[in-house]
Amino acid sequence: MKRRDLYRYGTMLLGNLAAFTLAVPGVAYLFDPLAKKSKEGVFQPMAKLKELKVGVPVAVPVVEERQDAWVKYPKEPIGSVWLVRQPEGSKEPVVAFTTTCPHLGCAINLAADRTTFYCACHSSRFEFSGKPMNDVPPRAMDSLKVKITTDPDPVVMVKFERFRCQGKEKISLV
Amino acid sequence: MSNPLADWLDDRTGYRDLLKSVLDEPIPGGARLRYVFGAALTTTFLIQLTTGLLLMLSYSPSSSTAWGSVFYINEKMTLGWVIRGIHHFGSGAMVSLLALHLMQVVAAGAYRRPREANWWFGMGLMFLILGFSLTGYLLPWDQKGFWATKVATGIMGGAPVIGPYLQKLVIGGPDYGNQTITRFYGVHVGLLPLLTFLTLTAHIALARRHGLTPARNADRYPTGKHWPEQFFMNAVAGVGVFAILLIVVLSGHGANLDAPADPSSSDYPARPEWYFLSLFQLLKVFPGHFEVIATVAIPASIVTVLALLPLLDRLFPKKLAHFLACGFVFGLMGGVVFLSIEAVRQDLADTGFQADRQRADESRQRAILLAGDASVGVPPEGSSYVLLRDPLTHGRAVLEAKCLSCHYFDGKGQIPAKVDGKETSSPQVASDLKGFGSYSWIRGLLENPKSATYFGKASSCDGMVEWKKGTKLSSKELDDVAHFVATFAEIGPDTTPDEWLSQPGVDSHPGYKPFVEDCGKCHVVEGLTEGGLRDSPNLFAWGSTRWIRRMIHKPGSPELYGYIDEKDRMPAFSSDQLSENDIAMLIRYLKNDYLGAPQEGKETRSPQVAAKTDSK
Repeated sequence: MKRRDLYRYGTMLLGNLAAFTLAVPGVAYLFDPLAKKSKEGVFQPMAKLKELKVGVPVAVPVVEERQDAWVKYPKEPIGSVWLVRQPEGSKEPVVAFTTTCPHLGCAINLAADRTTFYCACHSSRFEFSGKPMNDVPPRAMDSLKVKITTDPDPVVMVKFERFRCQGKEKISLV
Repeated sequence: MSNPLADWLDDRTGYRDLLKSVLDEPIPGGARLRYVFGAALTTTFLIQLTTGLLLMLSYSPSSSTAWGSVFYINEKMTLGWVIRGIHHFGSGAMVSLLALHLMQVVAAGAYRRPREANWWFGMGLMFLILGFSLTGYLLPWDQKGFWATKVATGIMGGAPVIGPYLQKLVIGGPDYGNQTITRFYGVHVGLLPLLTFLTLTAHIALARRHGLTPARNADRYPTGKHWPEQFFMNAVAGVGVFAILLIVVLSGHGANLDAPADPSSSDYPARPEWYFLSLFQLLKVFPGHFEVIATVAIPASIVTVLALLPLLDRLFPKKLAHFLACGFVFGLMGGVVFLSIEAVRQDLADTGFQADRQRADESRQRAILLAGDASVGVPPEGSSYVLLRDPLTHGRAVLEAKCLSCHYFDGKGQIPAKVDGKETSSPQVASDLKGFGSYSWIRGLLENPKSATYFGKASSCDGMVEWKKGTKLSSKELDDVAHFVATFAEIGPDTTPDEWLSQPGVDSHPGYKPFVEDCGKCHVVEGLTEGGLRDSPNLFAWGSTRWIRRMIHKPGSPELYGYIDEKDRMPAFSSDQLSENDIAMLIRYLKNDYLGAPQEGKETRSPQVAAKTDSK
């Protein structure tokens, strides 16, 4: 009976050992995407300040190099930002928002009457200040960091970032 | 032991009876190690299934993406190289175990009545496993898989009558490409696993129906049960195979990925996977018209004989039939081993093969370095562009093929053949392009224009030689001029002479004055010098990308070497002869503009040394 037990436990041990040894690299490989980080954005020129009119939002494409798994794409539009010039004397001369709706990630456009931002997916609506106008979006539009150069002809620089959808808090995806 | 849930399940499914019949299956003469091969094969197949499914999550089957995705799995994903390594070497384990299983079955006489049908199912599984190997080898779309598959399908195309149609059907058209990959992929991950599952089920069911073939001395031992003795031995065998597999994978850091498939390469030494080497070697034994013996006749005869083995008993006495069967199978294995060793031995002794293999390894390492570099990567057009867009690989190849029949590079021209192990270059009739346009090249020219590096071999370009006889510029002034002229190479594609002259640092450069006063007597630079003393090329933007491009397309234009007789001039290369990419890569190679290029001043020879060695 002792020999039989040895075989029995031995079989279980060996079987589990093999399964475990295969499972370790398997799980590591499967969970590889969690180890991948998106790269941090840098400030890049979006428009000249004088080209922006107060209170008229403009969508400007963000042009960046992009690494998609193994493929390296040259500079091409990877997203857009909304630039809204603020009235003279405001704390920030220009406010920038991502075009990604904080609800479920669709693209935010201008509403047909061009007085509000509107997302066609689930009817999120925002003021030009980014403030939500209905209960669909969980938070205001995601603003981006803006820098204005000190040139004689100032340039609006924006640091492009992506944020997690849903939730009241704005959490960067970097 | 009562478990209500298990009781309920058993009541509805009756699984306990099935389990019991498997566990308590009797083994005449008790458990033995020799019965483990089938179980080891099944275990390895499960390992292949698991790793294969994992690889499918990241693999992308198309000619532009396959290599990149396998590269990504191998180099960028966490332990991806382990998963791919197990899957790659697992195929070798399958084939090895298959051979062992086959030999064991024949030796035990387990192929004969009443197990004929199961012998044939086993043969079916053998073909399926070889099918997995053949289709899987292509999927990375690297040089190795591409060329090996080309050969394998080429053999198929040589079959009588239906061959060409079959080949076209298998590779999905007249040429190898996207449709070849998608077909091989579909067969590899869909059709073959399904057929294997069905055949394996039948194989195992029949094996259980007939039971194990009792060993000759089985009646001397008590009958055993599958569980736990035989299970333990199976587990030992399975773990043993897996352990060997892991050792192979870990010690070699996974499986190789060759350079991306390049249908235009002419020197790739194609070899099949090791377990097909015997067939490869057999081809060499039957050259020419007799090739069909190696490709069709012998394999077909072997398969036929194997299929008929169980029927041998009807022709011969039982013992003789078994003896013949064993003789055939073991002789066959001996032949396979002999031919495989012979193939490896011949390759090891073949210096040409070794040199080709070394070049292939250099391309492989270069491709992986480029694809993994954050500033280069795999271009969106596809993985075949990894090396095509690399100045070191493609630019150098263009230089060697098109330029070095006249020019030299770093003291060497084209090397048509090695004579007695010594490399002999093609004769030099034009300058040495190493470092062309750089300070050291120019400084060397100003020091000794007669050197072979410069115009020594181009007798119709004697202007600089004449100048050297009469010039009164001091060594310091020559340094300054060389530095000044070296800045011409930086002039951008759209800069006009006026714009360039108004840039800061141009007219204040120490070389500016001696250049205008001495060089400007012959050479023209619009808005700066008028030349006129002798015919000579215009030096505006000399050595820049735009200048070299124009020199390649139109060396006879008036501002270049139009004053030289056409027969003495560099021949023009049209855009049909050299593509935009060819020229761009060539120029970047000349300008050391590539990943891993030697740093400025380190690799380039100092002008004095160059002048000295060349004037010998």
